[in-house]
Amino acid sequence: MNYHFDWTPIWAARGLIAEGLAMTVALSAAALVFSTVIGLIVGGAAAAGSRAARALALAFTETMRNIPLLIHMYIWYMALAFLRLPAFSCAVLGLSLYSGAYVAEVVRAGIGAVGRGQMQAALATGLTRFQAMRYIVYPQALRIIAPSLASLFSQLIKDSSLASVIAVAELTYQAGAIEGQTFRTFEVYITISLIYLVLVTAASQLVLLIPGSRNEAAAGRFADA
Amino acid sequence: MPDVILKNLPFLLNGLWLTIDLSMWSIVLGTLLGLVAGTVRFVRVPVLDTVALVYIEFIRGTPLLVVLFITYFAFPALFGYHTTAYRAAISGFVLFIGAYLAEDFRSGLRAVRPGLIQAGLATGLTRWQVLRHIILPQAVRRVLPSLFNQYVRLIKFTSVASVIGVTELTGAGLLVNARDFHPVTILATIAIVYLVLCIALSMAGRALYAHFAVRT
Amino acid sequence: MTDEPTIAIRDLHKSYGATPVLRGCSLSVKRGEVVVVCGPSGSGKSTLIKCINGLEGYQSGSIRVEGIEVGAKGTNLPKLRARVGMVFQHFELYPHMSVVDNIALAQVHVLKRGRTAARERARELLTRVGLQDKADAMPADLSGGQQQRVAIARALALDPQAILFDEPTSALDPEMIHEVLQVMTELAASGMTMVVVTHEMGFARRVADRIVFMDAGEIVEDASSDAFFTTPRTQRAAEFLSKILAH
Repeated sequence: MNYHFDWTPIWAARGLIAEGLAMTVALSAAALVFSTVIGLIVGGAAAAGSRAARALALAFTETMRNIPLLIHMYIWYMALAFLRLPAFSCAVLGLSLYSGAYVAEVVRAGIGAVGRGQMQAALATGLTRFQAMRYIVYPQALRIIAPSLASLFSQLIKDSSLASVIAVAELTYQAGAIEGQTFRTFEVYITISLIYLVLVTAASQLVLLIPGSRNEAAAGRFADA
Repeated sequence: MPDVILKNLPFLLNGLWLTIDLSMWSIVLGTLLGLVAGTVRFVRVPVLDTVALVYIEFIRGTPLLVVLFITYFAFPALFGYHTTAYRAAISGFVLFIGAYLAEDFRSGLRAVRPGLIQAGLATGLTRWQVLRHIILPQAVRRVLPSLFNQYVRLIKFTSVASVIGVTELTGAGLLVNARDFHPVTILATIAIVYLVLCIALSMAGRALYAHFAVRT
Repeated sequence: MTDEPTIAIRDLHKSYGATPVLRGCSLSVKRGEVVVVCGPSGSGKSTLIKCINGLEGYQSGSIRVEGIEVGAKGTNLPKLRARVGMVFQHFELYPHMSVVDNIALAQVHVLKRGRTAARERARELLTRVGLQDKADAMPADLSGGQQQRVAIARALALDPQAILFDEPTSALDPEMIHEVLQVMTELAASGMTMVVVTHEMGFARRVADRIVFMDAGEIVEDASSDAFFTTPRTQRAAEFLSKILAH
């Protein structure tokens, strides 16, 4: 290994990295909000809607999540070109549809896990279907699905890197730019990786703030047997 | 079929074949890597355990695109070797999927009841034999659904290889578009192909699981 | 044949952290003897028999199985365990293997028997426990009683010198207890050395040569079956007996 490490160009480019980081956070946060909304609506429909609503919800999730995110990025960017939307909006749209389908699937499973009895008990006390969902089912489901949501949201942050292909100047895009100027290939990408690692870890901790979600399952450990 | 697709069909089919080729190699090698890393974590092999932990956590915190940049640009620069986009893509995919599969395998291994481990030891099997004949077979069956989820994810992720210049399905589509410019037609066609590939693989996974699931 | 007992436990101490589980237990089991270990739950019965084949470790004292010290550094535990079978409360059949493969596995990998010979031996033993027609079934397709009989066949397949039973009937529905006890009774009659942790006092009375009563990690009473049931020496044993025989 004859590689000569030189970290000074990375430090010199800290401004660009910071801008990229800010863009990644903005992109992820926007997509997180929209994909959660999509997930709650579609997942709710898939678990508790009418037959038609369930079929529609299923078609939506199966289509959206089985198309590669990269294709989502290109397709919304190019198909909606006539609207002259900024690339950022297209990236948010693609990321939200793709992640929203995953969130919907998790929400559906969570609602299923809460069980029919809770819904019936709530309806029996005179709550409307919507109220029963809002006050009884969703709060319980949210606790059950918190760990899955945490991993979906960290996934979303990493996935936002694909916005770089439609020239959204987020972290990965800036890394490419810095690499092109400095040729410090290894230093750039390791730095970027570590930044993502910190972001992803922080994000997964945030979701665990949902009350009651911090349940640690005990499991058999072979090493101790 | 739209004209632009018909006209470029051989080129696009070539791309599809490359997508399948990339996926197959990455799935096979990534599963082996994941199985080894997951088992090392489960058994807590000294030193290797830490190596596996660092590898898994690093990859799981890094976007796939960055992993590909690392295997295509950074590693060759660091270690001084030449690579091709194809080889870098497969190495990246294997490293990437292996880390996720390792976690799946580990949780499958941990889910095997401790009583079964004791029963195996009580008949005089060594710890390695218990792992090999009692724990692993059950763990693999148990994690089949997670494995196939990762495989489906991988098929979609192979599209990212186009960014480093591999002309798999997406790369081929983008090249066709650059020449003939029918973005929506071309991208929609490609999207449908991925959709079919992914749904077919999910169904295969479900069938396999239905056949091999361990009833308790 | 020597006078060395098959199992000899001397002054065994074990604790989990600060909690003592076994406090100076001594017990010896001669060849062909059937010893029932009873006592209230949490008294250390299961821990004691799991120490015998080294599934549980211990802090001080000694256990010798056919003269070999279980806790010694150089002891080949797999070899020792193959000579002492164990039957568990929850059967612990391997759910991914057929009944016959459950019984063949250790024969092939521990005793190095050929696969065909191992399967043949498995079928013989299945006949012995009355399940010859279940050889190719999966464990999930068997009742609890049938699963436990397969587990006994699995232990027998290694031609052990002794078998340890850890509450073999307490996870069973009442109507299945009998079929398992029946197999165990036949096993005792054939001269097998057995250590049985159980609450089945009828079985103990009919089959056991000796009863060992444990409470709070100690062996409180170690008496012949007759003596134990007719004239228990200690207050604690008398109380336990009156409670368990009351219903």
